[in-house]
Amino acid sequence: MKYKNALIFGYNEYAFEIAKNISSRYENIRIFKLNENTSILNKEDTQYEVSSFDLTDDWDDLYDQVDINESVVFCTLEDMAENIFLTISLRDCFNDLSIIALAKDKESASKLTLAGASRVVPLTQTTANVIVEMLEKPTVTEVLHNILYEQSALQIAQIKVENHHLFEEKYPAEIDWSSEHGIIVISVVHEDNSREFIYSSKTKHHPIKNGDVFIVVGYEKDIIDFEKLIGSRCE
Amino acid sequence: MLKRLIINIAYSINTSAKYARIKTFFYNLLENSNYKYKKYFDLFMITLIFASVIILVREVKSEVSLELLFFNNYIVSFIFFIEYMLRLWVISSVTKIIIEQSEHDAMLGENFQLLKTLKEVSIVKFKYILSMKAIIDLLAIIPFFHELRLLRIFILFRVFKLFRYTKSIQTFTSVIAAKKFEFLTLLIFASIIIFVSSVLIYVMEGNNPDSPIDTLFEAVYWSIVTISTVGYGDITPTTEAGRFVAMFVIVAGIAVFSFTTSLIVTAFTEKLDEIKDIKMIDDVSKLKEFYLICGYSSVAKEVAKKLSKNSKVIILDEQKNMVEEASKDGFIALNYDPGSIDSYKKLRIKIDTQVKTILCLSHSDVKNVYTALTVRSFNKDIFILSVLINETSRNKLKFAGVNELIYEKELVGMIAKEFIGKPVAFEAIHALRSNLNGIDIQEIVINERVLSSFTTVGEIKNRKYRVILLGIYKKTDSGFLFNPQDSILLEKGDLLLVIGNVQFISDFNKYLHKKGNR
Repeated sequence: MKYKNALIFGYNEYAFEIAKNISSRYENIRIFKLNENTSILNKEDTQYEVSSFDLTDDWDDLYDQVDINESVVFCTLEDMAENIFLTISLRDCFNDLSIIALAKDKESASKLTLAGASRVVPLTQTTANVIVEMLEKPTVTEVLHNILYEQSALQIAQIKVENHHLFEEKYPAEIDWSSEHGIIVISVVHEDNSREFIYSSKTKHHPIKNGDVFIVVGYEKDIIDFEKLIGSRCE
Repeated sequence: MLKRLIINIAYSINTSAKYARIKTFFYNLLENSNYKYKKYFDLFMITLIFASVIILVREVKSEVSLELLFFNNYIVSFIFFIEYMLRLWVISSVTKIIIEQSEHDAMLGENFQLLKTLKEVSIVKFKYILSMKAIIDLLAIIPFFHELRLLRIFILFRVFKLFRYTKSIQTFTSVIAAKKFEFLTLLIFASIIIFVSSVLIYVMEGNNPDSPIDTLFEAVYWSIVTISTVGYGDITPTTEAGRFVAMFVIVAGIAVFSFTTSLIVTAFTEKLDEIKDIKMIDDVSKLKEFYLICGYSSVAKEVAKKLSKNSKVIILDEQKNMVEEASKDGFIALNYDPGSIDSYKKLRIKIDTQVKTILCLSHSDVKNVYTALTVRSFNKDIFILSVLINETSRNKLKFAGVNELIYEKELVGMIAKEFIGKPVAFEAIHALRSNLNGIDIQEIVINERVLSSFTTVGEIKNRKYRVILLGIYKKTDSGFLFNPQDSILLEKGDLLLVIGNVQFISDFNKYLHKKGNR
């Protein structure tokens, strides 16, 4: 789903880094600063709209300010208790809102999930994972990093199948994607949102159907050709 | 003329690489506990000692063959004699003393003072000869010179030689030595009690015909047996005055006994941390390869947990509570400041050969900069990875010589971008990286064994093993070839990046390394 608004709760380096990275994708980015936070305004203030909020706020007011259905929220408060309280308050008011929350550790991550966060980023684990991958699998890390963060010509894309008749009830693992289309299909997401790795045994039981989403890696031209052939890109 | 000859010989010996090599070898074998072959030498010597003692014990009531006696009296003693002479040789350098003296005299414009030099050499050597360990060594050789039965008891001195070869005994003596003042006080106290009580009991009981105490020796024997709380009961006082003395000795004995026990316990408690530290340093110096984590933060804890699955991890932190926490978490942790060169010297860590990577994972940029700079000051090549806490410190850490920086906030930004843009693809890659559902991405190195069976990409047939070949990282041009064509040649050092079920990848790896697959 494509969102129009990004609402970032928290006035800190995490918030600014998120804002910087997602600014090209959103029409409107708003940073919400907790009233208690009295730190000096950052130079980056000028780039984004900054509002203040209180943990006891009635979030119904937010309906009037932004289109909640087209918004994504980032909860980046550094105090985990406050971040959890904020997440639970937002979830209480907005059932379908996409909430991405930062957690310091595993414990706060599970609490944030319970509080209703759609996706939790555990900071300690994420940093540790990156460090360990860098040391233990340097080449894999470099390649995946370049693919994921588009720092090379290679791209990763999600392509939805709309012309399943082309595959004649074949299974994903039966097709030699790399030699036929120049792309590599890593996994398939079915309509019921279940995800299967292309060569896991279960995928064998799922012939290609309309609505399946292929996670593919390849060069842009090959991906565009593949997309035209089987359906459309879903992002 | 003689002086010139001695100096020339000293110089030629001192500059001889072969001589230095031989001397270093024997020094390591005899004195360097970190030398890998020393333990075998020590084991050999311990075996000889036990063989000697067993023969001595056997000899008491049985006939021992002449060959065994010859082995015990001559062969073992000869080996010990050689060892004694080697120790005397390696403990100090005579040639170095001669050269230093001659250069000193030349600098002052004086003639070489041979007598002064010989005196200095004698002092150094005699200092060793008169040390406790050398005396024990010498006494252990004595049966080699004497065939007298009485002197064979000197074989028991060989048992004392065990002090040299077993570390636990050395630790025990060092603990006792640390409390020598207290033990001396105790010894003086016990000696006074024994002396006073022996004289008293002798005076009280010596003239009594019913008393078993007739001589001063018997009085001293009784005092020692009583004060040590052993109390055989073979000699007991019979007079009232004697029994009064006995009561006094018994009470004093309890005091001496409890004082001794508490002294030993205290000495061990005080030294326990040090002993553990020494043991840990020894263990670390024997490790072949490990990651060195400086600073035990929450990130360090997670990193250590993950790295320790496949590699050894050592943690350095200057805060004792963090070291204790790391130890509780099951890691080898040492309470040393990672920002001090002295720490690395004390720990005997060979950065070049032992350390894979240094990870500066402290919560403070200041500490990480300091650690990186310290390591860089004595090693230019080691890979240093550091976390960056504040963006403003980025250049400082780079300037300090850090090769790779991890900035948590930047990571969050990138993750947010990707998660928002391609959530499904992001989850797929995340699953791959985290090895979720048993699917992993791995690197397979192309070595000569693989090349003996496969020469091109088309021959490896990865699809048959249900493994995706994402690409090849070519060593020759350091480039990544995505989805390589079948005709691409495989070369030694190339890396295959494969995705698949862990078991399938393992099978595929085995298949690649199996000879004659083509």
